[in-house]
Amino acid sequence: METRSVVVEYPSVKGVLRLYDQGVSLKVDQGDFLAVLGGSGWGKSTLVNVVLGLEKPIHGSVSFREHDVTRESFVKRCSLVKTAAVFQRPTALPQMTVSQNLHLALSLAGVPRKERDERIKEALAFFGLDKIERSYPDGLSAGQRRRIDLARALAVKPELLVIDEPTGDLDGSATNLLIPLLRGLNRNQGTTIFMTTALPRQASQAKHQVHLRPPLYLTPENKMIGD
Amino acid sequence: MEKPSWTPIVLSGAIPREATDLLALLVMGIVALEASLAPVAPTVFSSRLWLSLLVVPPTCALASISTTTRRTREELALFAYGGPGWQILLRYFIRGAIIALVAFSPVLLQGFLRTTSILELVTTAVVLLFAGGLFYSMPSLRRIRSSSFVENYKS
Repeated sequence: METRSVVVEYPSVKGVLRLYDQGVSLKVDQGDFLAVLGGSGWGKSTLVNVVLGLEKPIHGSVSFREHDVTRESFVKRCSLVKTAAVFQRPTALPQMTVSQNLHLALSLAGVPRKERDERIKEALAFFGLDKIERSYPDGLSAGQRRRIDLARALAVKPELLVIDEPTGDLDGSATNLLIPLLRGLNRNQGTTIFMTTALPRQASQAKHQVHLRPPLYLTPENKMIGD
Repeated sequence: MEKPSWTPIVLSGAIPREATDLLALLVMGIVALEASLAPVAPTVFSSRLWLSLLVVPPTCALASISTTTRRTREELALFAYGGPGWQILLRYFIRGAIIALVAFSPVLLQGFLRTTSILELVTTAVVLLFAGGLFYSMPSLRRIRSSSFVENYKS
């Protein structure tokens, strides 16, 4: 997966908020574990959205396996590289149990019915969710809901796992467990991981790191305001 | 002693001005119009079915908009699971179509028993199906296409 000179802009009260002033260029090789480090509001989540095809950059390109996918949807990108995403906010469907959520994700990913049960059992056990598989997400803690999202993403057996601030709403002990878990996943199963974080200590545990710069505020005349 | 002012009550939303308020107004307005015009011009409004059908679009849109927060969560989840946009819209279309068909089933049944022409009956059913489905799925389409939709993934 590669981004070349990706630039994103938003309208802001002051004029235009431009993330990635010089453009972000980065490359994630197969089997890599890349951490993107940056402060709050610096565009980490935006970069995740651009990589997944949920937001389109004004300049630059995104490619998967040397195919330009800049204007392609997430679904199209998944057909080139099997991708799973875990966002900052838990995304499990509230009206379905933990297990049903995973079933739905696997059916959308086109996993044959016969394989689903086994994969779900494995993923739930891996994240210690097997005892709450029949619970509904709204009754669970933030950490448990985060683990549901991870279990859902991993049950798909993705080639590329994109995670936006994996420990955002987790307590200390859950945080301490999660990063080694991701490292194990990358090392043992060869899953390529693209992770964003605001914590240098967390980023340092990835194989490679990219540091973002703060965004720029531009006036309508394209002049910079402040920093 | 100072008298309490009515201004905050008015400013804070006593006057209907949201999309859901307007849709509710429209539904009730159509029903009221039908009820008031039927005795005045019975020949013109002898077949009141077509006027009744006008309530389908605003009612379905109202049903779809009224639980936007929950629906947005569902849509975010389905996208995160790798669901294509057309599948998300199709499920709303089917839901809206079912609502319209079930709601108008007495009219369709009556038409069937009275041996109204099959063509008219089928046309009515198709109109119901499309109007219900389309207007139920339109708010979702607007949400998904909005530039702020993906902002919901951020906490």
